[in-house]
Amino acid sequence: MDFHAMEEADGVRFSFTIWPTSRLEATRCVVPLGCHYSPLKKIADSPPPLPYEPIFCKGPCRAVLNPACQVDYRNRIWICPFCATRNHFPHHYADINETNLPAELIPQFTTIEYQLQRPFAPPPVFLLVVDTSVKEKELMALKDSLLMALNLIPENARIGLITFGATVQVHEIASQEMPKCYVFRGTKDVNTQIVQDFLGLGPRGMKGANPDMITRFIQPYSECEFSFTGILEGLEHDPWPVKIEHRPLRCTGAALAVAAGLLECSNPNNPSRIMMFLGGPCTEGPGQVVGVEKEEPMRGHSDIDNDSVKWAKKATQFYNSIAQRCVQNGHVIDIFACALDQCGVHEMKACVEKTGGSIVQTDTFSNVIFKESFKRIFARDEENNLKMAFNAELDVITSREFKVAGAIGCCASLNKKTPFVAETEIGQGGTSAWKICGLHPGTSVSIFFEVTTQHTQPIPPGQLRYTQFQTHYIHSTGQHRLRVTTLAQSWATAESTTENKLGPHGWMEVASSFDQEATAALMARWAVHKAETEESFDILRWLDRKLIQLCQKFAEYRKDDASSFRLAPNFSIYPQFMFNLRRSQFLHVFGSSPDETAFFRIYLLKEGTTNMTLMIQPSLLAFSFNHPPGPVLLDVSSIAPDRILLLDTYFNVVLFHGETIAEWKRQKFQENPEYVSFKQLLEAPQEEAKELMRDRFPYPRFVDCDQHGSQARFLLSKVNPSSTHNQQVGGVGEIVQTDDVSFQTFMEYLQRLTVQS
Amino acid sequence: MFLVNWFQGVLSWLGLGNKRAKILFLGLDNAGKTTLLHMLKEKKVAQLEPTQHPHDEELTMGKLRFRVHDLGGHDVARELWQDYFTAVNAIIFLVDCNDRNRFGEAKAELDKLLSNDQLAGIPFAILGNKIDQPRAASEAELRQALGLQSYLTGKTGKADLPKGVRPMELFMVSVIRRMGYREAFQWVAQYID
Repeated sequence: MDFHAMEEADGVRFSFTIWPTSRLEATRCVVPLGCHYSPLKKIADSPPPLPYEPIFCKGPCRAVLNPACQVDYRNRIWICPFCATRNHFPHHYADINETNLPAELIPQFTTIEYQLQRPFAPPPVFLLVVDTSVKEKELMALKDSLLMALNLIPENARIGLITFGATVQVHEIASQEMPKCYVFRGTKDVNTQIVQDFLGLGPRGMKGANPDMITRFIQPYSECEFSFTGILEGLEHDPWPVKIEHRPLRCTGAALAVAAGLLECSNPNNPSRIMMFLGGPCTEGPGQVVGVEKEEPMRGHSDIDNDSVKWAKKATQFYNSIAQRCVQNGHVIDIFACALDQCGVHEMKACVEKTGGSIVQTDTFSNVIFKESFKRIFARDEENNLKMAFNAELDVITSREFKVAGAIGCCASLNKKTPFVAETEIGQGGTSAWKICGLHPGTSVSIFFEVTTQHTQPIPPGQLRYTQFQTHYIHSTGQHRLRVTTLAQSWATAESTTENKLGPHGWMEVASSFDQEATAALMARWAVHKAETEESFDILRWLDRKLIQLCQKFAEYRKDDASSFRLAPNFSIYPQFMFNLRRSQFLHVFGSSPDETAFFRIYLLKEGTTNMTLMIQPSLLAFSFNHPPGPVLLDVSSIAPDRILLLDTYFNVVLFHGETIAEWKRQKFQENPEYVSFKQLLEAPQEEAKELMRDRFPYPRFVDCDQHGSQARFLLSKVNPSSTHNQQVGGVGEIVQTDDVSFQTFMEYLQRLTVQS
Repeated sequence: MFLVNWFQGVLSWLGLGNKRAKILFLGLDNAGKTTLLHMLKEKKVAQLEPTQHPHDEELTMGKLRFRVHDLGGHDVARELWQDYFTAVNAIIFLVDCNDRNRFGEAKAELDKLLSNDQLAGIPFAILGNKIDQPRAASEAELRQALGLQSYLTGKTGKADLPKGVRPMELFMVSVIRRMGYREAFQWVAQYID
């Protein structure tokens, strides 16, 4: 089965494409029935957005007319595949017939987009929220990046500026003469009404700001360029004195509350991003994550596990409420946390996750990771429009035999109780619609399903199951759009027509439709979702159990004979994905701070299947004189003195020179014209690395290292430890210093446990 | 559980029942700080990525609780070390015995720490790590390279030091072979009060 073709055509990847026909049989699949859907994926052969309104089924399902509908051309009727309602075509469809179809009925256009006939949304607002409690050097670097980025935003985009330290300042950007700002206390949580009244944006106590007043704080960059850059250049370090044993006062929470309020009263449901530039932890007011005394360290994983955190719970609650407010208004929050120590991203993560924002986390504002990632937020498409889209609502519609169990991804539940909602909940369940305030072409959400037909109600042979994804969003041009993806997929063939049960043939159909990458990614997301509430030890055990059960169901083996264990090619890499997932930073948190863990997990919840697979199992390429460049095993045995390796973990791109190559490099052979081929050997992986990093978001950390060097650990920590310091034989070949089990041992256990009767 | 037994023995003597000692692991990148912490926490050797954010672990040995902060060792991260100096009880400074090219750099960082006012009088245990490797420097060589000859205060028992003299010792260890660091911790514990 060609999973990639399905992804190309509709932006969707399923764990199993062909499903067992009853609830009971579906549970025997072990892994969930679900898919990753990318609502904004660029579909190569789709027609341009249709310049007319979609036709909705008048039945309860509200599905959109699609190629899976049965059409009676003579009577101009279409039958909805979801609820079987017979709908009349509207008058302007009078001319359609088998040879003259509107685009939405053409069979290959299973994903199609409509330009809705609504007034355009106003141009996006970028509200910069800048931490001025950072060190002088950091503030300088940040200002440079901000000034540079202003050149990247579209002409008509609107901007605003809030700065914060011990207090919050909202800057009036219109005033030409004297810079002027309004100051809010850093210790208080403020609601939207207070912000509106204090800034004089509208009649006191009345909801909604006066658009003319708001231009004092938010206006098109083209109209305030001069004063805005002036204010930015003039920004100074927070003047509040700080003792040496203290952290600077920093009211991140209050600043976010003001920002959310300002946008809520002035631009609800219209494209807006709060861009928070953060250089340290919040030390006062709402959302405080640590005391002001340096003596008190930031909470670590052990504090969170032992439930001995002083601030985290209350802070998390506060940031969750801010996230909720932004979701209601369709606004996005981006966080750029640049500091050597933690900034409280662990507490703030809902702000990014629920709103579909971006997060960048690195050590300083002068780091290329920050500078380049910040630029890439404003990436443009071929038509020179921003790639980002806003305020999306994703609705999932299913045919009667199955329902929606929930979603996991960077989205927020809309709590929409429809007949499509299953009893079982996975992730954000109890709804069939979710909001994604900020999304880009790579965004994917995982949807989990539950088969609801009973054992006694067989599905007639040949009947298909239908799924429709409706994504209503605002394009960066302000146009309201609706993307509709309709899938018609097969059920497995039941053994008999009276009982809803699969025989060997039916199970073979199911097994052949298994997508190991998509399934590994579904399980990874589910595991990360569980990790919010469960102990990591329990999650690892759960993953192991699921893997053994899956092998028991789908592997070929004789009872009690481990050597007979075989996996079909479309299952064969799955155990390795699970092995690497168990070892990954997503589940194994030792050595990471809670902020780092939150950061990694957000990207696992955000990206599409290919990138998730890469995060779970990094790719390794080898370059040498003897072989053409190509992929090699992610194993310590792939390290050789005369090889250059290129590791891509999504977050890190690591260029690793074997010791001989490193030595030649030290002797500068590449500068000798005689050794031009060596020069080329060194350059090839550099080029490849550039290619890998070209569109990656966030911009990855690039590590250039040599065997036995300090930074070689970026590679050694990722490879399979097939030889370690415990079984070193004669010192040949590279080893990993670890007591972790190797993949080979893991596999032996898996085979043994699977075949056990 | 060597440490536990040992600590239970000294606890009553030290009267450290409920005290939580703050210990920092410092040293250049790749000295083995995180590997040591992992060993103390999980009793296992692990290959870990270079540390970015500081992270800490609570270690309980008998009734004595340590909070150990493991800080990144690469040059940018070293700026952060001083933020952790307040109320610290001891410093464990690790050096990779095999990386002779960086002994100078390690010495420079160590000297900076030793001359820091906030750390005056704080005990320093210097761990020469990775002695399992064939080319590892000897104790004498490392002592020389780090310029420690006249500053060490003795490994056996708690030295009766004049006021203001910092307890400091050099221990040769191999974290992955589980060698030597036990003595270092025993030595440090005597000075935590």
